[in-house]
Amino acid sequence: MAVHLRSEPVWVRWTLIGMALAFLGLFIFLPLSMVFITGLNKGIAVYFKSINNPDALSAIRLTLITALVAVPLNLIFGVAASWAIAKFDFYGKSFLTTLIDLPLSVSPVISGLIYVLMFGAQGPFGTWLRDHGIKIIFAPPAIILATIFVTFPMVARELIPVMKAQGNDEEEAALTLGASGFQTFWRVTLPNIKWGLLYGVILCNARAMGEFGAVSVVSGHIRGQTNTLPLHIEILYNEYNFTAAFAAASLLAMLALVTLFAKSLVEYRYRAELKAALRLENHG
Amino acid sequence: MSIEVKNIIKTFGTFKALENIDLKIETGELIALLGPSGSGKTTLLRIIAGLETADQGDIIFHGKDVKDAQTKDRNVGFVFQHYALFRHMTVFENIAFGLRVKPKDVRPTEEQIKAKVTELLKLVQLDWVANRYPSQLSGGQRQRIALARALAIEPKVLLLDEPFGSLDAKVRKELRQWLRRFHDDLHITTLFVTHDQEEALEVADRVVVMNKGRIEQVGTPENVYHNPANVFVLNFLGNVNLFHGRTEEGSADATTKKIYVRPHELTVTRQPVSARSIKAKISFINPAGSVVRIDAVASDGQSVQAEISQEEYKSLKLQRNEEICLTPKNIT
Amino acid sequence: MRKLILIVLTLFVLGTGAPQVFAAKQKVLLNVSYDPTRELYEEYNKAFIKHWQELSGETLEINQSHGGSGKQARAVIDGLDADIVTLALAYDIDSIVEKSGLLPAAWQQKLPHNSSPYTSTIVLLVRKGNPKNIKDWDDLAKPGINVITPNPKTSGGARWNYLAAWGYALKKWSNDEAKAQDFLRAIFRNVSILDSGARGSTTTFVERGIGDVLISWENEAYLAVNELGKDKFEIIIPSVSILAEPPVAVVERNASRHGTLKAAEEYLNYLYSDEGQEIAAKNYYRPRNEAIAQKYADQFQPISLFTIDELLGGWQKAQKTHFADKGTFDQIYGN
Repeated sequence: MAVHLRSEPVWVRWTLIGMALAFLGLFIFLPLSMVFITGLNKGIAVYFKSINNPDALSAIRLTLITALVAVPLNLIFGVAASWAIAKFDFYGKSFLTTLIDLPLSVSPVISGLIYVLMFGAQGPFGTWLRDHGIKIIFAPPAIILATIFVTFPMVARELIPVMKAQGNDEEEAALTLGASGFQTFWRVTLPNIKWGLLYGVILCNARAMGEFGAVSVVSGHIRGQTNTLPLHIEILYNEYNFTAAFAAASLLAMLALVTLFAKSLVEYRYRAELKAALRLENHG
Repeated sequence: MSIEVKNIIKTFGTFKALENIDLKIETGELIALLGPSGSGKTTLLRIIAGLETADQGDIIFHGKDVKDAQTKDRNVGFVFQHYALFRHMTVFENIAFGLRVKPKDVRPTEEQIKAKVTELLKLVQLDWVANRYPSQLSGGQRQRIALARALAIEPKVLLLDEPFGSLDAKVRKELRQWLRRFHDDLHITTLFVTHDQEEALEVADRVVVMNKGRIEQVGTPENVYHNPANVFVLNFLGNVNLFHGRTEEGSADATTKKIYVRPHELTVTRQPVSARSIKAKISFINPAGSVVRIDAVASDGQSVQAEISQEEYKSLKLQRNEEICLTPKNIT
Repeated sequence: MRKLILIVLTLFVLGTGAPQVFAAKQKVLLNVSYDPTRELYEEYNKAFIKHWQELSGETLEINQSHGGSGKQARAVIDGLDADIVTLALAYDIDSIVEKSGLLPAAWQQKLPHNSSPYTSTIVLLVRKGNPKNIKDWDDLAKPGINVITPNPKTSGGARWNYLAAWGYALKKWSNDEAKAQDFLRAIFRNVSILDSGARGSTTTFVERGIGDVLISWENEAYLAVNELGKDKFEIIIPSVSILAEPPVAVVERNASRHGTLKAAEEYLNYLYSDEGQEIAAKNYYRPRNEAIAQKYADQFQPISLFTIDELLGGWQKAQKTHFADKGTFDQIYGN
């Protein structure tokens, strides 16, 4: 039952709506469309050529691999952490909750630097890694690690409220019906949180593919080797290669649009899930 | 299957939920765990189911200690207060769940599952809701589905936690009688938790009255109602009037004796009928019901409740603010 | 679930291991360089791969990494596996020696001309038609001129810019350091945006259209003019400027470990060859080779240049006096 506020005069409402739309147009739609326009201003052939070049393809590949590793790991971690936090009581629970949020409050530069300090040549493991020919920093592993770090809270943050709201009842019911812990998780917990989980995964993926700061610090910027798509875009831009830069940027922008679309789709379902959980909670 | 609870102790932090609980339940009995909230009755039920672990003590199912057995291996049917139906599954799938999660070698075939679920749906008289989701059912229907789901695994023990707690009064009464009939048919050892004395007394073979983590009394409904072991049980099993009266004239402790009398055990008259009669002024009359309830204030300021039949009420023609005399019927 | 974990692990191994595994098939050189050399080394790498193929029969792969000179030095110290460093100033390579010991202290004596195969200088870039009539360093200190230069704290190029102006001031006021400091204070009062790197400043001036004059590397200025339109910008050669000598060196310990020491050494030697010198000249770096310099004479206008050694007695000293904490830059810009 929507409540309509009728207290404001019509012109106030329309002015406010108009202002909001103008802001959206000015700060989001216009810049975003500029990305596509600039990317395509030398024609579709140039557009595809700038994407279909070894450095760009390598950047796309690295970005995809990074997301493919970081997102599933975050998914596993996020489910485990939110399960622990939402359904159990243990010592240090509030500390863990704070810790999960840490990457959000830390500057991405710091998120990158911690890995440089740890695995860099001057760090505690630097000599050992060098002697064993293992490359972490300024190589894909560090990029993946930094990405995992910055995306760390994405899944868990979405799941904790859902799981908390849903409580333990259904899991306990499953246990009394003879289900094992794994069966309970797979058949009861997971279906109940799937939209929340998907929502978290989408956000996590968007961040994993778009992360610039932390990745820039640990990348080493070796062309065709350790540049992700955002880093590649910066390089192209700095080389006055605007068409190519914006062509590559349009890929990320498209990802953003797809994410946005998927997000609102999932959000719709997810809100229903959360609401249902809350309704059952309040029942009686 | 018989259940034996031996010396169970459970604490949550500094709160003592259960203190030295001993209880023996025979095969096929229908037992009510009755007590106010916080009395430990739900905790005891959950410990029997294995959803909670006792700090100390043993749980013995049919002579076998199951203290260390996991919930899934105890083969208990558990019905939760808020139903705990799987909201993403249809009614059919909810009931089939316990069968589908069985290990491969003992898992029934799809036809067997279908037959079993249909049978259970018929048993709970809801065979027409198989394809609905729990959110599309009423509270009473949900609770019956929860029961059917618990029965699907053919449990040796059925545990119900405030099964009718979140239902409205009418549905509650119906389901209560239904549970009784149902138990008479199936004879599964059943424990149910309730805070409603009427429910406990009406349904159970035996009632276990609990308070503050302890068992106050165990007995048949008749027994606990008429021969309460202590003041708590007496009080909890129905309204009771406290008289600071003399029971027997001339006895030495007569002045200190307290007398507990239930409302229906009082005779209402216009004039005193014996030395034990006390005077009181009517403050409220509720004639709607099978009996007429009368609230009165005694001359010493004590409030008293009495219940009389409709016939008596009509013949006495009682009015508010009238003076009456109340006399306990059978004080021994 | 187990399958999922397996997939993730496989991807992790592929993601992290694959590039190295593929790379192991052929020799790989990593040249860690500073910002404005992107185009130079892109062209040079192609030429050198061909040269090395002819010389040794091996097919080389050369990887490039670009960034602010100081930042790149730091990355090499932290483990960026460079075989070769080609940075903006000797001081940055000295820091690598000092902090990591990856190459010998005497690295600058290994190659001719202080290990600087090409030079450059600092010039001024103005908008077409020179609307603010900027002719020399003096004009930058005038009120109402918007000057763009990067931050000397983070950018090697910015330090050259700073020292070029400093050198001009010392000459003008016959080594009166107080006057020189006042002069730089006046210039930096006109600086509206202090980017962290030379390329960033160029972008600010050229792309975003901010500022009246950009203090810039000569090659960077030419690149901007040629890439973005001769009709938009003009290069102003000041009366006097600094001789910038971007040094190159082999990071010997890394190269030895990779088994690429020979290739790395040849990579730098070949920069002094006719072909190397010509590529440098084509990318607007002043070649050391007289004959090649002659050939590109109309591109490099004559300019009175002083070296950092003449001016300040070397980079270590310059760094300490001007760019360290509480150096002259902090004094004029900090308050």
